[in-house]
Order: sequence, then structure tokens, then C-alpha cells
Amino acid sequence: MKNSNFFRSLFVATALFSGSLGLTSCDKDNDVTPATSTEVRGPYDQHGVFILNEGNYGTPNGSISFLSDSANQTVINSISQKANNDRPLGDVVMDLDIVGDRAYIVANNSNKLEVVNAYTFQTEGAVELKQPRFFAAASADKAYVSEWITYGQPGQVSVIDLKTLQVVKTIPVGPLPEELLVADGKLYVAINGSNVVTVINTSTDVVERDITVTDGPAELELDADKRLWVLAKGRTVYNSDWTVNYSETTPGALIAINTANSTVLNTLTFGSNQASPGNLAITGDGAKLYYNYQGATYAQSASATSLASTPLINRSFYGLGIDPDNGYIYGSDQNGFSGDGTVFIYQPDGTKVKEFKVGIGPNGFVFN
Amino acid sequence: MSFTAVAQQPDSTVHQLRTVEVFGRPAEVYAAGSRVSAIDSSYLRTYASGSLADALQARTPLYFKSYGASGLSSVSFRGTNASQTAVLWNGLNIASATLGQTDFSTLPVGGIGAVEVQHGAAAATYGSGAIGGAVLLHSPEYKGEGLGWEAQLEAGSFGRYFGSGRLSYGSQKLEVGASAYLRLAGNDFTYTDLSRYQTPRVKQEYAALQQHGITQDITYHLTDKTQVALHGWYTYTARDLQPAMGSAPDNAAQKDENLRLLAELKHSSRWGQTDVKAAYFKDYLHYTDNTTNSEADVQTYQLQAEQTYTKGSNWSLRGGINLQHFVAENDGYAGQQQENRAAVFALFRYNPVAPLALSLNLRQALVEGYSPMPTPALGFDWTFYKQHQHRLSLKGSASGSYRVPTLNDRYWIGAGNPDLRPEQGWSYESGLRHVLPLGSTLLLETEATAYHMLIDDWIQWAPDDIGRWRPANLQKVRSRGVELSSQVTATVGEMKLSGSAGYTYTSSEQEKVYDGTGDKGKQLMYVPLHKAIFATTAQYHNWALLGNLNYTGLRYTTNSETTSLNGFLLLQLALSKKLELWETPLLLTLRSDNVTNTVYQTMAYRAMPPRSYTFSIRFSLP
Repeated sequence: MKNSNFFRSLFVATALFSGSLGLTSCDKDNDVTPATSTEVRGPYDQHGVFILNEGNYGTPNGSISFLSDSANQTVINSISQKANNDRPLGDVVMDLDIVGDRAYIVANNSNKLEVVNAYTFQTEGAVELKQPRFFAAASADKAYVSEWITYGQPGQVSVIDLKTLQVVKTIPVGPLPEELLVADGKLYVAINGSNVVTVINTSTDVVERDITVTDGPAELELDADKRLWVLAKGRTVYNSDWTVNYSETTPGALIAINTANSTVLNTLTFGSNQASPGNLAITGDGAKLYYNYQGATYAQSASATSLASTPLINRSFYGLGIDPDNGYIYGSDQNGFSGDGTVFIYQPDGTKVKEFKVGIGPNGFVFN
Repeated sequence: MSFTAVAQQPDSTVHQLRTVEVFGRPAEVYAAGSRVSAIDSSYLRTYASGSLADALQARTPLYFKSYGASGLSSVSFRGTNASQTAVLWNGLNIASATLGQTDFSTLPVGGIGAVEVQHGAAAATYGSGAIGGAVLLHSPEYKGEGLGWEAQLEAGSFGRYFGSGRLSYGSQKLEVGASAYLRLAGNDFTYTDLSRYQTPRVKQEYAALQQHGITQDITYHLTDKTQVALHGWYTYTARDLQPAMGSAPDNAAQKDENLRLLAELKHSSRWGQTDVKAAYFKDYLHYTDNTTNSEADVQTYQLQAEQTYTKGSNWSLRGGINLQHFVAENDGYAGQQQENRAAVFALFRYNPVAPLALSLNLRQALVEGYSPMPTPALGFDWTFYKQHQHRLSLKGSASGSYRVPTLNDRYWIGAGNPDLRPEQGWSYESGLRHVLPLGSTLLLETEATAYHMLIDDWIQWAPDDIGRWRPANLQKVRSRGVELSSQVTATVGEMKLSGSAGYTYTSSEQEKVYDGTGDKGKQLMYVPLHKAIFATTAQYHNWALLGNLNYTGLRYTTNSETTSLNGFLLLQLALSKKLELWETPLLLTLRSDNVTNTVYQTMAYRAMPPRSYTFSIRFSLP
């Protein structure tokens, strides 16, 4: 596949030769001390936000940072390394989900799901997978992980028994499956290498149908009215000499799907096919959507029928998250992957209130 | 640091501008105040089966970041990055035009005759990329009358084998030599996998390497005043690229083929010396992994013409031009790309009085759309004290340097950045040198140098605001440091001893960041603050013992100083005995690398080999 080759080659060139991809070993600073009283089950048994730092591609220096919500808001970096004798977490940390007493961490290029205690981050097990991307739990006992298997080839969704940490079933899907979302007995899978969202029945684990959207669906959010919002990135088409063919390249879009009948309610197409939207996030009440486009951050009501025209924040982020409690906006800067990234926190109106350094390549936020 | 066996390094303080010498290395003659050190030839012969990265790591202040036992080795010199050290072969730049840097693991010591290291900026003499310094490689020289030959076989730990052969013939008019080498390395050593639960001991299963090559050199003296020479060097390297611990194996493999051909004409006349070099280089790189199949094929045509005029022993002037033509095919480019570059230079040396040497150099490079500013260099070398055999000299230089964007920086589709500016460096250094010969039994040389360097418009690939990886003039870097070196040779009874010690302190940090947050004021990643080298050779009758100790201090693994690799100490020992078998001299060598079994990494998470043993046998005639 041309697309795949091109980006991989670019990546290889960049990764191998630019010298910009540094690596991490052990972080000796900031020893972990419980930020609250001793009745808690571990240092992370408190309100706060986990920050996912993907690390350098080809190097297992992905990490998790934790910003506690306690009075003095302290940041602790590399929390899994600290809890596990400096053992590196993994290569390209993509996703973290907390289910019960455990946190499940997807390390894409380490081919694994690392299972840790949610309060101490001590490793309790690992599940071997094939280029895993995202994790979603359907219940306390069962979860799904999307897997690329091989870049550009048809992917799969693995069904994981959370008690035994075994893969109990694999469900073939289209190429490059990305985010997963469970709602009302259905698992939605964004198939980035095509133009569909695949729907899987969570009681039978069988594909029910594909909902056709626009090219490159990648991210999913559910709003207050049970609309499934899909961020599609569009599809870049190349000429034979690898220049972009802009007459065939398709733009990105935000698509709203009615989860009751799996029909597309609305498709909000972005204006230009020369830039791709990204980082779809939603407020805790499911009323407001946030995303990045053309180097800026936009916000709009989940019931809007057109795209926002003026940006809320005049920059884009490598990762974007919205605090479900107070609507604060968390954005990150990847610092060229050559040094530690930075997290910025903004009030809902876009006023910056705080910034702090985290690990390499912060790409996501999980609010605890 | 100078790691030369003293006998091989002419004392620059007594350097005379004799006719024969102006054909020598331009930096020695025309860059007063700067420093060139050579790698001891006995070291190169003992470690002929290794790569240039191994040799320079063990013997010089250069730091090499090696992606495991088989992977890419990139250099950092005086706090700069891998593109900022120029690599020249017989006086012409051989760095890859696509990547702008040299992978030192693809340069086998077996194919090189001599290696010198130019410390500090020397772009006025060596052109683009000579910012932190330059590594100067020379083809083997074949001296002596009649037929000569040499054969070497070697076997070592972790499935390492090496064989080489050399044939030569010399007469009054002609010197001809050819060599071939083959190196196989399984690199199946055992290491502790830090990334796995309970950190098990595992075997490295994906770091095998196969390398072979030939060299051919012919020098023909047409007349007393005219000679022509042909040099050829071909190397093929195929290897598994050792993955990082904890990253999924992706079956990454790389093949490199490097062909270098050079024809040279030297002629002396009453107008001085004329030196014309024409070269053809072909560099092919094929990278594959589970999802990638990428080829790059670059052909380089180079022409360098120089005219040197020397007047008495006072002054010498050299003027020259360098022309380069690149034809590059790369999967990342829109079809074939061609590029022309040119440079004109003038090098001037003047000795107003015997103990003082002054030099002034100027170079102007011309690259379409990317021409750097004119690059000057000014230097002096003053022997101010000369009594009771002690000789003390003070030296200093101020020099500009530059690096033009690589072909990848310019032509990579969707990434090539037409707004890039060339990197621009300014370097100031000063040093003291002390030489003390005591009769014919002892020679002590000590040198201390301090430098201050600014490199502006440092080019680095990073994601832009829409996530697209592309090169940008990201930062201004300030590098400061101290280099100390001392060497001694002594004859004690029937024992010949030589020793050298060196220490470097390197502080290199971002001074300005033009895009993004950056990490201002912090030590750049993979630049050790401290590196120290200690080397000794002892010869007694037919026995020789070689020892090398390398201490490399802590290195940060990102620009934020938050994660690091611990310092390490490596010891190499080699014991040789000369014998005679069927009237043929025979040299037996037993070697051990990493004698103390140190666990270390030069690139994070890439396991490096533990203690190893190698046995080698070498026949030679005459």
C-alpha cells in the first residue's frame, strides 16, 4: 500500500537519521509518596489526571504521568517505571483505561496490553497483542482492543477476559481500526483505513453492521443525546511520484450517528482537504465537543449543525482532553519528541491557568 | 586529545613548509592553532576487524551512539550532532548526501590506511559539515620495493570471524596494492532484558552482520615532478538491525553498498604544486522491515582542483575549487533529484618569524537557494618558550563553519522545507602545548585546549503544527569544552613504552529555541559531559601488550535532563607475539574486549556485547 510505505519510509528516515528521537532509561527524580492519607490503596487512589506519554517510536520509553487533584497539584512522571523497579513501560503508549482496581495500558509498538494495579501501578500481568491501538471495556469482566496486526492490512478486535487476561476471541475488521466506544450493548469501531464504523454486538461479539461515514474515521465520542460523534480524518491520495493529489484527497469531517438505529444524522465536512482534523474530545455532560483543526482548537455545542468558525484557542495540541468535572481544557505539546513534553491547562473560556512538563510525546489524558 | 604514537606525528612547532609537505593534510599546514591527531597505526592493525566507530570510541573524545552491536553508529564531536562532523576520504567529503551524515559502522578499519581527527570547526578547509570537527580517512599506502603480501585470520566470541588479504608491488615508478576483507558477526550474546517482567537473561537473536569489501590503490610516478594515483574502495554491509529491548521485533534489516573511486594528479612546476582530484561515489542503502521497503541510491561526482604556491619558508598560499554533482534516487523523493554544489577556497599561511605561524583561510560555498555566508578561519601558533629542552606554545583560532541542508531536508515529499537556512557555526579556541624530549629515551607531549562554539539555525526534524515531520531551523546551540591530552614514549632497557591519556569536558545546550517549547539551558541528549581515555603499549622483544581504557560519563537520553544512561568504563587488552614460520613473519594476537564485562549502552535500550575474546593470526611479507 502506497500510503503505508510512504509514511513508514518517512518515519524511518526521520526516526533513524534525524537524531531527534531520544530515549529514556530511568528517572530518578521525584520518588513516589502518597499525596493523601495512608488509608488510600496507593498513591494514585485519588482525584487527578493520568497523562499518557507515548515516547519515541522504536524505543520503550513511553510513560504515564499523574497530576493529582489535591491542594498543591503535584505532577509525578514515569509512575509505572517507579512502581516497577525502573522497568520501561512500552513503545508508543496509546491508551489507558481504568476498570475496577486495574488500569489497562496499550503499548502499540511493544505489542502488549500492560495490566497494572490502578492505585499503585505495579504490573499485574500483560496480554500479548498485534499492534494494539485502543481499549474499551464492556463490563467488569470483558474488554475489547483494536489491533492493526500489520500496518495497512485488515485489522482485528480482540475480546479479552479481564479475569484471566486471555484473548477469548478475535473479530476481523477493516484496516487500521482505531478508537472503540461501547454504548447500549454495542461496540463501535472506527476503521481508519476505510470509511466505516463497524458495529459489534457485545453479547454475541459478532459484527452487526458497518455504518458508512466519510473517509478515515478515527475518533469516537458519545454525547448527552446518545449521538455517536465520529471524527473522520479524510483520505490523502498520492500521485505516482508521491506528491499529494489534492483533486482526489478527501477532507475530514465530524459525523453524528443515531445510536438507536445506526443511521447518520449529520455530516459536518471540514473546508480544506489540505489539513486533517484531530483530537476530538467531549465535556463530562456530553454537551460540548472540542477538536483541533488547522493549527487551532475549536469548541462547539454537540447539537450544532455546522462547524465552529472561530477558534477557542489559537493553537493545536498533540493530545487534548476535557476535565469531566469542571470542563477545564488539557492540551499538550510534544516538544519535537526530543525532550519532555508540556501540558497546558485552560479554563473553559480558553484562559491558560497552568503548564507543566511531563514525559516524551504526551498524547492523551485520562481523568481519575 | 592527541592519541598518536609520537613517532608518527610531526611536531608542528618545527614544521617547515617544505615542498613535500604542502601536499599534506591542509589542516596541519594551513590551520594554525587547530589540532589534528592521528590514530595509532598499531591500534588500527590490531583492531582491523572492527568498525571505525569502535576505533574512534576507544581512542578519541568522539562519542558514538550505537544502535546495538550491529546497528547504525552516529557521532557526536564537541557537543554537536552526527551531521556536524565531516568525514573525508583522501580529502573529499564522503558523508551521505541524502542523510548528511556517516554511519561509522559501515566504515571497516580494514579498508583504511590511516585515520586522523581534526578537532573543531574546519569548514574553511573541509567544507560543509565540519562544524564539530572532521574525520580524515586515507587509503592504504604501499611503500617498499618488490612484492609484498599479508594475510590475516581471526575468530572470536559471539560468532565473529574476520579474514583479510593484501598484495602489493612497488618499484621506483609504481606502487600498486590491493586488499580484500570479509567480516561475519553473529552477535548472539546474552544480555539482561530490562524491559521484560523480572528482567530475564536472553540471547540477542537479531543483530547479525556480514561485511566484505576490497581496496585498490595505484600510484604511478610519470616523472620526478608528476604523479597520478587511482584509489578504489568498495564495501558491502548487510545486517539485522538490533531492536530496542521492549519494542516489538519488526525484522528491520539494512544493506549498504558504498563504492568510492578517485583519480588524482599531482604536478610540481615553478608555479607551485597542482593537485587535481576527480571522484565518483555510489552509495546504495536498502532498508526493510515488516511494513517498509525503502531504497536510496546516490551517485556523487566530485572534482577538486588546488594550486599551491610556496615562497621560501615564510609563506604559502593555496587556492582551489570544489565541484559536486549529486544524482539521487530515493523512495521518498518525487523521482530523481539532481543538485550541484560548488565552493571556492583560499588558504594562506605566513611565518613572520620562525616561532610564529599565522593562517588565514576563506571559503565560499555556492548551493542553489542555500548558499551559506563566506566562511573564514584565522589562527596562530606561537612557540614562546624554548629552553632546557622544554618547548611551550600558545595557539588559538577563530573559525566559521556551515552545513548546507541535505537532499532529504530538501526533497522529501511533503516534508522537504524550501525555507531552510544553512547551519552556521562560530568557533573560538585557544590552547597550550608543551613538548619535552629527554635525549632519545623519553618524549612527553601535553596539550590543553578550551573552546567556545555557537551553532545557529541547527536543523532538526520535528512535527510541525499539523503533525507533519519535517526539517526546521530549530535552535541555536552553544557548546563549550576543554580537551586535555598527554602522551609519553619512553625506552626503558629493552622495553619500549608509550602511553596516552586524555580527558574532555563538553557542555552543549540550546541557547535559543526558534520553534516549540524546547529545553533551553540543558545538556543536549547523548553528549557526555565527561569522557576520558587512557591507552598504553608496551613492547618487549617479540611481545607487545596493548591496553585501552575508555570512561564515558552520564548521558541524558532526552534534551530535558530527566532521563539518562549511567557512565561506563570499558577496558580492551591485546597481547601479541611475533614468531617466524617457514621464514615468514607471523603475528599471533589474543584480544579481549570489554574485559570487565561492563553492562552499558551508548543508545538507550540497545544491548551491547559483554566480555569477548578474539584470536588472530597474521602472516606478512616482507
